[in-house]
Amino acid sequence: MQNTRAVQAAALRLLLWLLCGAAAATTTPAGAQSVDYGALEQLFGEPVTTGVTGKPQRATDAPANIEIITQDDIRRSGATTIPDVLQFVAGVDVRREGLGSTDVGIRGYNQASNPHLMVLVNGRQVYMVDYGRIVWDALPVQLDEIRQIEVIKGPNSALYGFNAVGGVINIITYDPLHDNVNVATVRGGTQDYLDGSVVGTGHIGDSAGVRLSAGGFRADDFAPGPLTGDDRYARQSPYSGNFNGDMRWQITPSVEAFADASYGHNRLADQEPPGVFGTEQFVTSSIRAGVNADTRFGVVSLSAYRSDARVGIDNVNDGVPIDVGEYQSSYVVQGSDLVKLGADHTLRFGLEYRADADDSGDLAGGRISNSIYAASLMWDWQVTPAVTVTNAIRVDDMKLHYAGTLLPGTGLTTADYNRVSLVEPSTNSGIVWKATEADTFRLTIARGVQLPTLLQYGLQIPPGFYAPPAFVGNPDLHPSIVWNEELDYDRSLAAIRSTLRTAVFLQRTDDVIAWPFGAPFSFAPSGLPVFFSANVGYSTAAGAEIGIKGHNSAGFHWNASYSFVSTTDHTVLNQTPPPTSIVEYGNSTPRNVVIGGIGYARDKWELDVQARWQSSYLDFRMNPQRTYLLPIEIDNYLTATARVGYRVTDRVTLGLTAQQFNQSQLLETAGPPVERRIIGSVSVRM
Amino acid sequence: MEWRPHAAARWQTAPLPGRRRGGTVALALLAWAALGGPAAAASLSARDVQVMGRALAFLQPPPASGELAVIYADGNAASKQDAEAIAAELGDGLHVGSAVLRPRLVASTAVAMEGFAVAIAATGANGPPLRAAIDAKRALCVTADLAAVEAGSCTMAIRSEPRVEIVVNHAAAVASGVEFVAAFRMMIREI
Repeated sequence: MQNTRAVQAAALRLLLWLLCGAAAATTTPAGAQSVDYGALEQLFGEPVTTGVTGKPQRATDAPANIEIITQDDIRRSGATTIPDVLQFVAGVDVRREGLGSTDVGIRGYNQASNPHLMVLVNGRQVYMVDYGRIVWDALPVQLDEIRQIEVIKGPNSALYGFNAVGGVINIITYDPLHDNVNVATVRGGTQDYLDGSVVGTGHIGDSAGVRLSAGGFRADDFAPGPLTGDDRYARQSPYSGNFNGDMRWQITPSVEAFADASYGHNRLADQEPPGVFGTEQFVTSSIRAGVNADTRFGVVSLSAYRSDARVGIDNVNDGVPIDVGEYQSSYVVQGSDLVKLGADHTLRFGLEYRADADDSGDLAGGRISNSIYAASLMWDWQVTPAVTVTNAIRVDDMKLHYAGTLLPGTGLTTADYNRVSLVEPSTNSGIVWKATEADTFRLTIARGVQLPTLLQYGLQIPPGFYAPPAFVGNPDLHPSIVWNEELDYDRSLAAIRSTLRTAVFLQRTDDVIAWPFGAPFSFAPSGLPVFFSANVGYSTAAGAEIGIKGHNSAGFHWNASYSFVSTTDHTVLNQTPPPTSIVEYGNSTPRNVVIGGIGYARDKWELDVQARWQSSYLDFRMNPQRTYLLPIEIDNYLTATARVGYRVTDRVTLGLTAQQFNQSQLLETAGPPVERRIIGSVSVRM
Repeated sequence: MEWRPHAAARWQTAPLPGRRRGGTVALALLAWAALGGPAAAASLSARDVQVMGRALAFLQPPPASGELAVIYADGNAASKQDAEAIAAELGDGLHVGSAVLRPRLVASTAVAMEGFAVAIAATGANGPPLRAAIDAKRALCVTADLAAVEAGSCTMAIRSEPRVEIVVNHAAAVASGVEFVAAFRMMIREI
């Protein structure tokens, strides 16, 4: 503990030193250096992103397969959550395990508490460090304050580090310095749903801006459906409340400071990695500060943030309530320099320190934590006007720490944990060739690294807690290495004001990590029956996507896509049917997904319809006696959402959304069936 | 107006299908214009001008309100006609953030006597003499003629269709002391 605090103090001193150095190196005169997304989008006529390389780029120039969802897309979707929007994006898998609980994956490998996805809000990583999962409803961001959601498919570890192996979802909110957003929205509907949010922006002179947002919902969850016994009793109705404040200050024409803070209190019924259902309470908070400076050495960015989450997990076992507590924390210090050398070369140097900790006597027998030092380099080379080559590499150095009381009889010692140290490189390379004004080819190759989560290393669940055997983490785990090769072809179809996008990809995951809940059964040297986390083999995936998106001046817009992914597991698990481990990606990924949508806007009216069909797949839940895993076949299904919007005045808009209007109940996972929802909304913009 | 198709062709990275038909259409339009059609279009379209206004906001420091020189080649009727058309596109002025740049026609031989921070080079106005005068003014030169920017006689070329493209001659920008915000530099093509 003292060592960790000393490292944190050192990191803070380093940050302060770097901040002072950056300010001293600043040239004058200079200009605004943060990316003004709105101004650049207006200038170039398309969304702008920094999410692929760290360099501002037009979405069509980025060396990765990226989809950008705009605020207009979000508003017209009628969505109440971010996953509601994401389910209509090609290549994205969404599992709705309850009204307030969803897991999102990209190109398969999506299961309950999916750890393969990196999600950021304005660059702050927002995953829970216990399982590496995303609790979407606990994110401190309101839909009305989102400028765009960037969906980057495939590994992007060379920019973001460990865990960005399935893909990255980057949520960008409006900038309080450049954007003026004042909106209040109230929604209500079936399932006794009530939701409200307020977003307000204020400016202090011309040099500072503040954006505040708050919002939340309460509802009755979906009926438990096939859930029985303990799973049924453990589910409680969800509620959510989140606050966020975001400030930017233009200190000088060349130096900008920013700070943000958030707080949230959420109760959500979800599916947990063992295949059991329960209710979790999340009290989250974060604070961040940083500075960007346009210097003679490039754009220097420095930031530090801290995220905390107090998590209470409520399950029922044999009719007896089980309450588990965790305190999770992350400290991150990041520095980067983005510089354009001459006319053709852009370089980005990055340094990062990160310390994650999960303090849980219930789950880990104490405190399991890590400290990570990372260095990265990105080189973007405009070889010719039509060809750009980008290479990025990042090296992470991770050390594991454990303090607590390990489960007796497992054969593991504290020293086994405290000697874990690994160094892993991640790489991303891409070539973008604009063959003609209309045709773009993109070839990318990536090596991503999936670090075992803290509880995959350090879980200490005694026998009889979830099931008769013990579930124990394993300090000898190796990271999963994800190789991805992809070829994309985009064509602008000016005659029909559309863009055609295609992609084919191959992926291989080495050293697949199995949770203790899905690992091979064994006996510890003491004779203790136990499931240890393990590396269990490798998995391959091959897939393709084709989609078209467009709009015309008559007010119509449309989209259609088809995604295919075939995943094959080569692991020591599930050798004979039926499968007994959740590490069954081949069958737990829907192979075929078709998405289609059309919208129309005229005068004061907007009408939008989106539909998604996906093929069948296999999901899992524990049997009522908690003795084995129950495979559940999820049939292919079609879900469709429609929204009608009416602008009463320039400031007031009414909306009526029917989510899954085609079916009253739909089994999308092994959990409760998803119910039809009818939601009315009133938005007032000032 | 022969320069316009030529300049447009220079933006292409590869031939576009159907260009022969496009050439036929262009000839027909030229014939129509010769027979008394509407006034010739400016080398910078209204959309180009809009893009230019947005791009100038990324100058550092951003331009203050003042005059925007629209420079034509002295004694060249086509050049002056183009400058007049550009000035008409600009109307009362080009809005750059809170600043307004009011257009003023300037003959290429009179550049040294005028005060401005931004200039548009009309067709036929680009060339070494203009470059020297602009450098002396520490001003930004903008044109639709990519070849002129490639040759270094003007600093920034703008095209808005079919896709916004902005090309800046790095050496020319340095010579005239023009600087852009770093994020903007990373999103345009510099030569």
